[in-house]
Amino acid sequence: MRRATSLSQSTWIALADPTRRSILERLSRGEARVTEIARPYSMSLNAVSKHIRVLERARLIRRRRAGREHFLSFNPDPLTSAAAWIEAQRSLWMSRLDALDALLQSEDAAAAKTSKRKDKSR
Amino acid sequence: MNPQPQKAIVQVTRKFSASAERVFDAWLDPSTVGRWLFATPTGKMVKVKIDARVGGSYLIVEQRDGIDVEHIGEYQEMDRPHRLVFTLNVPRYSEENTKVTVEIRALDSGCELTLTHEGVLPDYVASTTSGWNSILNQLAATL
Repeated sequence: MRRATSLSQSTWIALADPTRRSILERLSRGEARVTEIARPYSMSLNAVSKHIRVLERARLIRRRRAGREHFLSFNPDPLTSAAAWIEAQRSLWMSRLDALDALLQSEDAAAAKTSKRKDKSR
Repeated sequence: MNPQPQKAIVQVTRKFSASAERVFDAWLDPSTVGRWLFATPTGKMVKVKIDARVGGSYLIVEQRDGIDVEHIGEYQEMDRPHRLVFTLNVPRYSEENTKVTVEIRALDSGCELTLTHEGVLPDYVASTTSGWNSILNQLAATL
């Protein structure tokens, strides 16, 4: 789950569907027409187009127009660069929380020393 | 081609041996905040101003390599010791206003903090074309 939550939301939504993942797998083998993409699926062209739009919004698919033909290709950038950036942000926050924990523990240690001293002076 | 800013969510969870109240207060007490929140090992904290109320703002400035780096934002929700929501903007690095949600859950001993930072992927995030397949496969395994 860690890995999953560290992708951006739109990427995550786009990938959270097996049909869309299989479309990406097809496109990762090379550029294809919308009709070619739709062929193996039992759903309507319209339904496949909806999946394609979700993937386009997440920038996982690029569209190239040649006359009346639309060609689609896979864009892996959001998967790699977003994931890497988010990992870096996660570790930044983690190091801040580590610093907070260290600070609180040092306060505890100092307080324990002070109370010990008080006990001795009593 | 200038694509829409892409949203990004960063989430971390960490346990603390200190109580939920102490961990919560550490986010708002000026004398504590400056010692950890946006502090870097080589930086020098120069200003911590905190108006700890919903609608109140904060300003935390750390000097890094001679440059003042400002962290500014506004508190949106405050429910001690459970929940704190604030905006975060670091003008030096980005114009984007991001949102940080801190949720603290008391445990039998200490507490567990979950931080969610909702922001936008910066333009400088470099693109690379390798390694996507393993990421895709890992995702498939977790879905």
